Amino acid sequence: MGYRISVDTGGTFTDIIVFDEATGSLHIGKALTTHGRIFDGMREAIAIVAEELRRPVPDLLSETDVLIYGTTRATNAVVTKRTAKTAFLTTKGFKDTLTFKEGGKHGPHDYTYDYPDPYIPRRYTFEVTERIGSQGEVVVPISEVEIDEIIATLQVRKFEAVAVSLLWSIANPSHELAIGRRLDALLPGTAFTLSHELVPILREYRRASATAIDASLKPLMQQHLREMSADLRAAGFAGDLLVSTSVGGCQQVDELIARPINTLKSGPAMAPVAGRAYAALEGLGDNAIVCDTGGTTFDVGLVRDGSLVYSRDSWLGQRWLGDIMGTSTVDVRSIGAGGGSIAWCDSGGLLRVGPQSAGSIPGPACYGRGGDLPTVTDAALYLGYIDPAYFNGGRLKLDAAAAARVIERFAAEDGSPPDQVAAAIMTVANELMIKAIGEITVSEGLNPRESVIVAGGGAAGFNIMPIARELGCATVILPRLAAALSACGMQYCEIVFEATRSRFTESNAFDKAAVNAALAEIAAEVETFRSRFKGAERAHATTRFIVETRYRAQVWELDTPLSVGRIETDADVDALVEAFHQVHERVYAVRDEASPVEFVNWKGRIAIKLFEPPPPPPSVAVAYAPDPDSQRSCFFVETGRRQTGIYRGQRLLAGAEITGPAIIEEPTTTLVVYPGLTAKLSAAGNYLLTCA
Amino acid sequence: MPVTSDKASISPIDPVLMTVLANRLDGIVREMTNTLLRAARSAVISSARDFSCCLVTGDDRLLAPAEGLPVHIFGCHIQTANMRRYHGADIRRGDAYLDNDPYGGNTHPADHTYMVPIFIDGEHLFTSVAKCHMADIGNSIPSSYFVLARDVYHEGALVFPGVRIQRDFKNIEDIVRMCRARIRVPDQWYGDYLAGLGSARVAERRLEELCAKYGVATIKRFMEDWFDYSERRMVESIRRMPKARLVNKGHSDPLEGILPGGLELTVKLEIDPDEAIIHVDLSDNPPCVDVGLNTSLGAATSAVVGAIFNALEKDVPRNAGSFRRLRFTYAEESVVAAPKFPHSCSVATTNVCERLVNITQSAFAQLGDGHGLSEGGTGLGVGMAVISGKDHRRNDAPFVNRMMLSTNGGPSSPVADGWVNYAIPVIASLMYRDSVEVDELKHPLRVTSLSLVPDSAGAGRHRGAPAQEIELTPTGNDVTAVISCDGQHAPPRGVVGGYAGTAGSTWRISPNGDISRLPNVIQLLLKNGESVRGRDSSGGGYGDPLDRDPKRVHHDVLEGWESREKARDIYGVVFIGAIEDDTLAVDEAATGARRTELRTARTTV
Repeated sequence: MGYRISVDTGGTFTDIIVFDEATGSLHIGKALTTHGRIFDGMREAIAIVAEELRRPVPDLLSETDVLIYGTTRATNAVVTKRTAKTAFLTTKGFKDTLTFKEGGKHGPHDYTYDYPDPYIPRRYTFEVTERIGSQGEVVVPISEVEIDEIIATLQVRKFEAVAVSLLWSIANPSHELAIGRRLDALLPGTAFTLSHELVPILREYRRASATAIDASLKPLMQQHLREMSADLRAAGFAGDLLVSTSVGGCQQVDELIARPINTLKSGPAMAPVAGRAYAALEGLGDNAIVCDTGGTTFDVGLVRDGSLVYSRDSWLGQRWLGDIMGTSTVDVRSIGAGGGSIAWCDSGGLLRVGPQSAGSIPGPACYGRGGDLPTVTDAALYLGYIDPAYFNGGRLKLDAAAAARVIERFAAEDGSPPDQVAAAIMTVANELMIKAIGEITVSEGLNPRESVIVAGGGAAGFNIMPIARELGCATVILPRLAAALSACGMQYCEIVFEATRSRFTESNAFDKAAVNAALAEIAAEVETFRSRFKGAERAHATTRFIVETRYRAQVWELDTPLSVGRIETDADVDALVEAFHQVHERVYAVRDEASPVEFVNWKGRIAIKLFEPPPPPPSVAVAYAPDPDSQRSCFFVETGRRQTGIYRGQRLLAGAEITGPAIIEEPTTTLVVYPGLTAKLSAAGNYLLTCA
Repeated sequence: MPVTSDKASISPIDPVLMTVLANRLDGIVREMTNTLLRAARSAVISSARDFSCCLVTGDDRLLAPAEGLPVHIFGCHIQTANMRRYHGADIRRGDAYLDNDPYGGNTHPADHTYMVPIFIDGEHLFTSVAKCHMADIGNSIPSSYFVLARDVYHEGALVFPGVRIQRDFKNIEDIVRMCRARIRVPDQWYGDYLAGLGSARVAERRLEELCAKYGVATIKRFMEDWFDYSERRMVESIRRMPKARLVNKGHSDPLEGILPGGLELTVKLEIDPDEAIIHVDLSDNPPCVDVGLNTSLGAATSAVVGAIFNALEKDVPRNAGSFRRLRFTYAEESVVAAPKFPHSCSVATTNVCERLVNITQSAFAQLGDGHGLSEGGTGLGVGMAVISGKDHRRNDAPFVNRMMLSTNGGPSSPVADGWVNYAIPVIASLMYRDSVEVDELKHPLRVTSLSLVPDSAGAGRHRGAPAQEIELTPTGNDVTAVISCDGQHAPPRGVVGGYAGTAGSTWRISPNGDISRLPNVIQLLLKNGESVRGRDSSGGGYGDPLDRDPKRVHHDVLEGWESREKARDIYGVVFIGAIEDDTLAVDEAATGARRTELRTARTTV
């Protein structure tokens, strides 16, 4: 029996969770992320747990069977524009595909910002004389002489990576393959990505963007993942190294060196994996809204019918203005909202919170780093929800006087009581999060009233109860290890691999042969993946087939599950059509029986269970009402300011029931129990919050 | 910012509760928008986003619009009022109404407006409204835009003045059959109808839930307070402007043989910061014309209101409260906002309205640097044409659709360059671009090229967005393209010393390669082997190009949007090095000298 370690490296903190297989217990460690050498911060976080377990770090590592690594290295490289110098090769006449993007803009009356740059500059774009038609026919043949000329230029101009995305390569890949062959021959060792191999999907911008991003990350991620692997080996680790991915699973290092785009947004993708596990563990159904509240961002994802929800509409940066990933990813929406959001009063006299944020520098006034504007964290501190000496486990001492100064000054502007104003700041801040949850549940057709919320992130506990109450969600699960929700998710994840083929057909002239050929190719690709995977032959694996589907003339598709791996009979087609009607009705409340249905992209997703998830702890919950450890003056709208019970989470036993108003302080998170609502510590070690 | 803890008190409403409820309403309209966008069939809705959703009070005041097209912002309240006038006491829960009457508040006949009256405790408290531009409305030509329509009879649209289309939540099949009997590709229309109606019904469910949760009394109080708050925001915003009387004129493109000089259009604005009112006078405009260019009251007012909001603080709520501070004067009978039956309003939302937006937003620039915008690119060119025909790949099944493959360049502002994906002034960048592959899959066409046009942008301290050029060809049968472009003669103008953008063009390319220029408004039959090439217009500049930050010019030259020659001759920026080896850099000394030289040359001329 050994250990299993999961690591989530964020922009600020590195979270680790160690699963002790002997005792079945989970342990959390947190350290600052060390961007120079990621392993240093990881080791520091592991050292915290090692000390708790009274084991030296090298021993702990050498007894670790599996380490799952979640990285933001690729994301950071994109954000800071430190990716490889990448050339974009595309069909002649279409060099602006990456510049045009897909249109859309925020604010029809807002003319204060510039049009965004393309992912790869126009001057690094090369047009290839060739054209494939929509039926796969060669309209303009490709010239090897021209390819070689372009490649010679790439060599002279010292490009480090090449992205190749030609129109209709999904219908006929011969031209992209020809370029690939010449790159292999003339520029051996230079990384390149062919669009039809990476994301064989319809829509040239999405394919081009994915291809450009992937190619630009290859040199860097290849180096980073190999270094990480070497660092771990040198530190004594001899087990399996896995890397988490944006489909909410993990893969071996070599797979991600080949397709580094799949490491983007892998951290947020793991929160819904954790949410699914916790909802199942607590027996609270298979629909969950999973919220992860960090210092500056609020992420929301979903679990529907026990499955993760996927999207092809994930963007690096803002939607429409950033760069679309084009790959299928766990659908996680992120908004800029958090403790640093600034409160202000608009010209109509209405209290507003954000979008301006004090960030972490100077940060809220109470950080004592020069911030002089009232923020959400200042309001929470003023209301008594935070112990200034115990914020973030005592790592950051807060200046309560500074918070009081900015809140009281803000309140004095129109003579309102500061407590009321601070509470109003919290309520208005909650609205931003309620709106974000509303958007994702609406667009996925999930009813919040029939879902549980799983809340994570260090700042989740301040406001998740009133948010749940407003949304009509009766129950919230706040895991004790909520501060490391993504790292928790990795302890429950599977090896996930997805294969895609674009094969357009319609229900009234369904091309069974072509579709079955595509499905067979997908199945073969999935099987090849499985057979390559060491240790997978005895592991439990499930493969699901999905098709992106729409009514004739619609532009946007919905994921429709296939119940079979081949379409043999007309009845199979009918069943698939009916499955789409049901999905459409759930999401858009209408079905159109008379309309032909169009099938666009076909996908196979294999999930291999390489390891068992942590078992629930054996403890039995016996209900009791604990005594508070201390009292503090807190303000709630319903009760006014009064002495409120403060509970140290580490002293609570399973079955503890606490009725608000009360504050529960865990080392890495704080939970505010609002008046009239209750929190109960479950046998599995999660706080179950009743909000209705 | 008075804050009270008593949530039950409703007079005045708790401001925090007001924020919460405003957020809820916004969420409802977003849900309507999402439903319509994703479920719609025709690209004109799902890609071009030519639709809008809003909530109107039971007594016909605009309460909450989405981020929909600015040209739809004004007039829905007139349509709901007409619905109530026509049907009186016979309106009840479960009803839905269809209106597309351009004389009754609607924008133009192509915009089918679906209205669902929403009853709470038996009281008609809201009407949810979904307005969608249909790909076809049964016109005499296969396009919902018919510039040359002599009158409504020639235009041929089916017009529904506030007609009931559902009762007890079920279709009134007579009306649906009428539409199906006449509208081209009726399944596409029906799919869009379901999407629009589904959107209005979503709002009904959500508003019922909202009222159940907060109580009708609170919601009613909220609405009044929200209008008052919005009015206060508008007052504050107008008070920040100087007192001024602005008169601005502009021209629409000529129509061959009909309107050789185009139309001269005039917008007069009187900004009165003391009273916090903006008076808009649209009365000084030509009488109705015997083509489809006449603008409805709804469309023309929306165009001007939208452009006014472009000049205000960017987050002033747009509703009946803020609209209290706008006053309008119209002519008795005019091409602008005063159509008289049976004059056609077929293209009321585009051609003349595009010019009205430009004239209005650039009028504010008369207040001086820091105010207003330049003119944006106009005209639905080749890349936005309505195409139709028979698809040889699908047993000659008919098709009709508006494309959104290339767009005009956007206007520049005091602080930002123009937006590339602008479409036209009344769409204001909100549309999605079509995918070339999706359009080629759906229609028997091939796009042979699609790119930005270097050196086309209107120069300025901030530059307009460049033009785009597209070329396409049929792959099977002949294809009809209806192009009703108003942007090929009078180019978008610059302001505050900024230069004009460039006008668009349409060309036919014959099988032997001969190129011939076509008129701006044309119904084109494109034969196999022929191509059509279209160039859109670019945005005008804002401010003197000699004041443009050399870093911005450097970026434009690196990206190939502007040439080194234009940088030297127009922006006065001189470079050393080369783009190819990443050594291009601004020659500071030479740039300073060049700018002085250009300035001197101006004063001596």
